[in-house]
Amino acid sequence: MEYFTYIDSPFNIREDIKIAHRNYWKALAAPGSWWTGEQRISIAQEVRNATACGFCEERKKALSPYAVTGEHEHSTAELLSTEAIDAIHRVVTDQDRITQAYIDSNEQHGLSPEAYVELVGVVVTVFSIDEFHRGLGLKAELLPEPTEGVCSKYRPKQAARGIGFVPMIPADGATGAEADLWPAGISANVLRALSLVPNAFREWYQVSKAQYLSLEGMGNFVKQDDRAINRMQMELVAGRVSAINECFY
Amino acid sequence: MLRVSATTTETNIDLQMINGDKTAAAEQTGVEYGLELMKFAESLATRNNSDLARDRQTLLDVAGEKVLVDAAGVAANFQRMVRIADSTGIPVDNMNAKVSQLVREELDLNRFGSAQNTLSAAKVPVPEV
Repeated sequence: MEYFTYIDSPFNIREDIKIAHRNYWKALAAPGSWWTGEQRISIAQEVRNATACGFCEERKKALSPYAVTGEHEHSTAELLSTEAIDAIHRVVTDQDRITQAYIDSNEQHGLSPEAYVELVGVVVTVFSIDEFHRGLGLKAELLPEPTEGVCSKYRPKQAARGIGFVPMIPADGATGAEADLWPAGISANVLRALSLVPNAFREWYQVSKAQYLSLEGMGNFVKQDDRAINRMQMELVAGRVSAINECFY
Repeated sequence: MLRVSATTTETNIDLQMINGDKTAAAEQTGVEYGLELMKFAESLATRNNSDLARDRQTLLDVAGEKVLVDAAGVAANFQRMVRIADSTGIPVDNMNAKVSQLVREELDLNRFGSAQNTLSAAKVPVPEV
């Protein structure tokens, strides 16, 4: 089945966006580093459940996320732990109240930092593709069928604790098998954030290049030729979305 | 980035459009379709689907489908980026850069809870909220 054809879209969708979304769906269906293809698709399904979860809505209104108790509206308990389901819902609906203590507690209950990072990668990439559709009034794409296979359990040796809640590859650590992650000497914390699972970074970045800009394109503060909006217009949209999400970064 | 882009193109802008100020976003302030783009971004991020339908149509009417599609891409992208930053607790890269200091002050960004990820890492006193 071919995904993201956009044949029902009233708007012409740029070809690079279609390709990026299709490629991501292929990667989503395949086994990752710490989750099987079936689990990755369950994570994607749970992203969609989170957007309509009554418990998430109630928790978001509470002064503290721990002030309310209840159960998420979920459908993936056969494949995902309670901690994984909660983490998915948190990242979608209450991300600005995630703390080191929350991640440490999840680790004590079996959700390792590596698995958490891959989970975040799937959540945010699926969510952004779904948000693109919602923004244009289009239906969310059908989730793909999982591909059989085992997880690689790959962890880059140079990843270490330092900034943030999880280990990351240092800015000068894009070497060896990770040499493609970012150009030597050019990194940013947001690029490093999911680098504990290098493919999680690679996957979201390919989508980001189409939806926004490549790292190289970010150096152009005027207008990229293949975009209909200039950089100021892009940054207005980016800034307003970030402000509503109360993102300091 | 908006400040840098405006400086590069020698455009006078009012950054309060980031905080939702309609006057600041109006086109005469320097960003073409500024108000319509701001409102589209706002209704998408607040997940208010009836506002989103209205603001999508308005943006489409004034700016056309290419602008709408690109704006949806950028908005969707930043729905992702904020979640990457907050779910991993990363601090701002260079807290001491003058331009970003000024922007943070102008937009009062220290009020956000996620500011603690940067302020505590930089050993800057966290404001009481």
